Formats: sequence, C-alpha cells, structure tokens
Amino acid sequence: MEKVLMKGNEALAEGALIAGCRGFFGYPITPSSEIAEYMARKLPGLGGVFVQAESELAAINMVYGGSSTGTRVMTASSGPGISLKQEGISFIAEAELPCLIVNVSRGGPGLGGIQPSQADYFQATRGGGHGDYRVIVLAPSGTQEMMDYTIEAFDLADRYRTPVMIMAEGTLGNIMEPIIVRDPVEKFYDKPWAITGCKGRKPNIVNTLHLASDFLEERNRILQAKYKLIEQNEKRAETFLTDDADVIVVAFGLMARIVKKAVMEARKNGVKAGLIRPITLWPFPDEHFKKVAETARMVLSVEISMGQMVEDIRLSVNGRVPVEFYGRIGFTPNPEEITQQLLLLAEREGF
Amino acid sequence: MSTVYNLKREVEKPARLTGGHRLCAGCGAGVVVAGVLRALNNEDRAVVVNATSCLEVSTFMYPYTAYMDSFIHSAFENSAATCSGVEAAYNALQRRGKVDGTVKFITFAGDGGTYDIGFQSLSGAMERGHDMVYVCYDNEAYMNTGIQRSSSTPRFARTTTSPVGSVGQGKKQNKKDLTEILVAHNIPYVAQTAPLGNFKDLHSKSYKAIYTEGPCFLNILSPCPRGWDYPMAKLAEITKLAVDTCVWPLFEVEEGVWHLSYTPKKKLPVEEFLRPQGRFRHMFQPGNEWMIAEAQAYVDQKWERLLERTGA
Repeated sequence: MEKVLMKGNEALAEGALIAGCRGFFGYPITPSSEIAEYMARKLPGLGGVFVQAESELAAINMVYGGSSTGTRVMTASSGPGISLKQEGISFIAEAELPCLIVNVSRGGPGLGGIQPSQADYFQATRGGGHGDYRVIVLAPSGTQEMMDYTIEAFDLADRYRTPVMIMAEGTLGNIMEPIIVRDPVEKFYDKPWAITGCKGRKPNIVNTLHLASDFLEERNRILQAKYKLIEQNEKRAETFLTDDADVIVVAFGLMARIVKKAVMEARKNGVKAGLIRPITLWPFPDEHFKKVAETARMVLSVEISMGQMVEDIRLSVNGRVPVEFYGRIGFTPNPEEITQQLLLLAEREGF
Repeated sequence: MSTVYNLKREVEKPARLTGGHRLCAGCGAGVVVAGVLRALNNEDRAVVVNATSCLEVSTFMYPYTAYMDSFIHSAFENSAATCSGVEAAYNALQRRGKVDGTVKFITFAGDGGTYDIGFQSLSGAMERGHDMVYVCYDNEAYMNTGIQRSSSTPRFARTTTSPVGSVGQGKKQNKKDLTEILVAHNIPYVAQTAPLGNFKDLHSKSYKAIYTEGPCFLNILSPCPRGWDYPMAKLAEITKLAVDTCVWPLFEVEEGVWHLSYTPKKKLPVEEFLRPQGRFRHMFQPGNEWMIAEAQAYVDQKWERLLERTGA
C-alpha cells in the first residue's frame, strides 16, 4: 500500500475525518494548533462544521452540544487548555456523550513551556474534573498510531458512550513519518439516545443535574458499572522481550519507542531488559504486570514527567517486585541515558 | 506632562521597554508598548501585567526581561484579573502606609487575550473600577500560535483557521467592536489609537489613560507583518492607511463624551489598505469585487455612525 508522509497532528486530524468526525470545536494552543488548522481546511468541504471558539471552555461545551445530536465531534488542545476544559469533560462523562478530546501535551505546571511532556498523566487518567468519572485514554507512539488510535477512539466513544482522550507528547504531534492512510469508516453505531427531534417518539433528555439523593447514587452506580466493563474489555499494552527479562522498563507514547532502543542496547551489554508499553493509560493494563511481577527482578518506569505512571505500576505489581523511576521534564530522555540507567541498576542489583 | 508634545523630548526619556527583546522585526506590538510606557512620568513606577501573547513570550523570557518596571504574567484568560489583584493589594499596602510614591498598573494583552478568552476578566475588572489601564494591542488574530482567526479578525481576512479555498473565502464575520463595548462599561476613559506619525495621538491617549483615576481602556492597532502578510518595513505605511481609510478611526470617549481625534484630509478607498496585505489577496481576484464593496460599505457605515456620535 502506498505510504504518505504526514505530520502527527495532521494524521490525527485526517484519522478523525476517516472516522466520520464532522464537528470540530477548537481554540489555538501550541503544540496542537495544526489539528484545528487542518480541520478548518477540510471540514467545510465535507459538509462538516469547524468552529473556533472564544476559549477552551466554550469549545468543550460546543462538543457537549454537538455530541448530544449524535454527530461524531471532537476538540484538541494542550495541557493548559485541557485544564480549562475539565468542567465540560466531567459534564460530558456524566451525560454519557461520546466524543474525542486530544491532548498534544506540553510541560507544566503553570504556563510551563512548549517542550513535549507526559506530565498530564494524572489529569488524564484520574478523570481530571470533579466527580467520580473516568475517561478512556489512548497513547499513540507514532504517526501511524496518531491516525489509527483516533479512528479507534471514536469507536470506543460510541460503543461505551463516553469521552475518549488521546494523549500524545508534543513531539508526536509535530514529527512527520510515512503512514498508510486508512479507508473511511462505514459502520456506525445507532444512537437512539441522541437529540434529533422527537416527532413520533418520546423525547430524549441529556441531563447531569440529579438533586434527589437516591437518583444521584443510582447514576454513579451506573457509571461505575460501565467503567468496570471498560476495565474488563479494553486494557491494552505492547510487550517486548519481557519473557526472560530481569528488568522491565515501562514507558508509553513516543518514549516507549526510545526505550525500545535502550532495551536492545542493554541486551547487547548483557543485561536482560524488556519493555511494557501501556497503550491504554486508563484502563491501565495491570494484567500485563502479573506475570512479570513473578519473573522480573525489577521494574523501571521511564516518563517525561517527575513520576506519575509509576504509581499505577506500583499498584499493578502490588509490592511483589521493586519499582524504580527515571524521568525528566523539559527534555526527552535519550536511549543512551536510559541504557546507562539500566546498566547501573544491573550492577547495583547484581543481575 | 508639558502641554506641548515634543517627540524628540519624549524619546530621549529613559526607555521603559528596552531593546533586545525578541519580537519580530517590524512588529507593531513593540512600538505600541514602548509608546504607552513612554507616557509614564519618569519618577513614577509601574506594574506591567501581560496576558499570554507574542509580547509576553518575546519580552519576558525569564530570567530575562525587557521591562524596567515590575512585570507579572499568569495565563491567557486572566490578565485583567491578575492586575485587579495587584492593584487591590497595592491599595491595602498604601492604606497601611507601607508603600511610597506613585505606582501605575498597566495591562497589555493581544486581541485573542482581550476580545475572546480574556473578555470576562476584562469586563469584571472594568466594572469593579480598579485604578488601572488595560491596553489591547490589536493585531487581529492569534499570531503567537500561528495566525488563527480571533473575533477581532476583520471579515474576509485569511487566517489558518479561516482559510481561502473552494468553500471558504476567509473569515465570514465582521470584527467585533470591542472599543464600543468598553464604552458601554461607563468607565472614565476609553480610546482607540495607533502608532502613527509622531506618536502624538498614542502618547496623549496613553497619558490620559494612565493618569485618569479609575479603569481606563486603550485599543491600539498593532500591524503584524507575518500575520497580515506585508513587507516588514511597512509598519508606518500600513498603520497610516488603516487610519486614512477609516478602517481604524482614532477617537476617545471621556466620561461618556465622544471626541473624534483625527479626520483624514481625504478619506481613502478601503482597497488602499487591503491591497498591500496578503491576507486580503483573494479579494482582488476577478469575481470577488463584491467583497471589496461590502468591506467599503461596512467601513462607511461605522464611520458615519462615529461622526454622528462625536458630532464631527
């Protein structure tokens, strides 16, 4: 199949169009703005709608409105903008509206910088806004996956009637790689809940206000049951050379590709290393850690943050194997320094 | 301030926005900010508040600063709120006799940070009546993130989110009239100006805004050679054309009374302003004459209304 050279942000945007996304509501922020620009160029010609909002708050609430009609809709931003969207995301989760939220993430906290970062992991995987809710979070590691996971994200969103987030370091949004452009999605879900005009049927209601105590609790139980189902079905990870590994490195996103090289270098130096790459950050692929917790002597989490995913890894191995952390922010760790970390650990621990 | 404006004397004052900042060559914003700060009396201090913007990322790259005055930045949507907080704290310190001298509070934000995301915070600060000046340097799009449209972008202008192609012909909507919205806040002083000629208009309006008690607002046109797509040496020329075509009229509203500051000797057709700019290039293609006609009609209508209001 013929490959096309595409920028990560554009591959993601094209993936959304392939998935039938016909509403984009955005607000400019580096390093995600190319997604909005691509949609501004393409959506009008496809009979879709591109709206540039006056703020991230407005954009996420346009997503709420757009999704209520059953249309596939999305927004894209970066850390500070995603922070502003949190109120809306909480509302969308409780209203059980499917949509895609993209975080092409940069370094915080505060204004931070525009360097690639994974420090929005907590924000993404713990719900982010108020109340008991979760968002499915997919972490692509290359330009092809920027497209593929976007297509997948719309499917998951409709299947579970939930917001889905794609979290990609700023680098992924801005590098170019040759990719295979997928065929347009043709199978869509029925959306009997959508607000489409109620002539001849009972009106549908999209609502998140539940003043009665028992109904509020019931709504929360319904949401939690859905999250349990997602946890059962959707945990995903990629494993690489884990069977005989003494040390398991865990990394997601582009960081995982960099770690892969370090794993191979470490093996050349006689250290049996392996990689687990979580693809779903929530639900976290804890099953993949069950076996390595018995066979590996150590786990090392490598993140472009000060240590966030490491907490989920510790929960997953539950004390059965020591978990260490290596991370930077402002810089993306390179293969040499990770290899160095692995050799140091091996020397210290004697494997 | 001496009653007679003298550019040479003004530019010989110690600069408060110093050279060496990282704004693009030919950027209007740097000229605007230097011009506003020049209106401060030498002995007075200022707190400069800045919304996220080209200006912020270019003039205050911590630990470097281009400002001789104190500087504070927090986020994109809240410069007026940040300024309100600083001004309120200053008042509290002053009441307890803990600060000496005059401190002025000046906020700079671009049109994205003012017309759009910062609007709520601006409106709140003006209504509460903080003693501050809010300066919008209006370059008519989100230049810092790569030239996306804002509610200040004029109709038909090409930006990266209002592209020109087979379906779209640049921005569909007219520019929001922010200055008029600020007049509706019933604050002591509102003015529209531009970095023009000998800067007298910019200077005197800045001086009035800074030294009038209470909340004051300046909307200052700041051409952007990158976003507007014209040669960077033409800042003065483009600004003059904006004013002489009445696309950007100069006026002020003092305690609710409107004054027109400048009447062009000969009101130029709007094409004169549009033609040198790449963002309007498609308007000059055959078949698009209606766009120029509509742009002209809009400018004429706004200008007539301004003449009525100012009694000019």
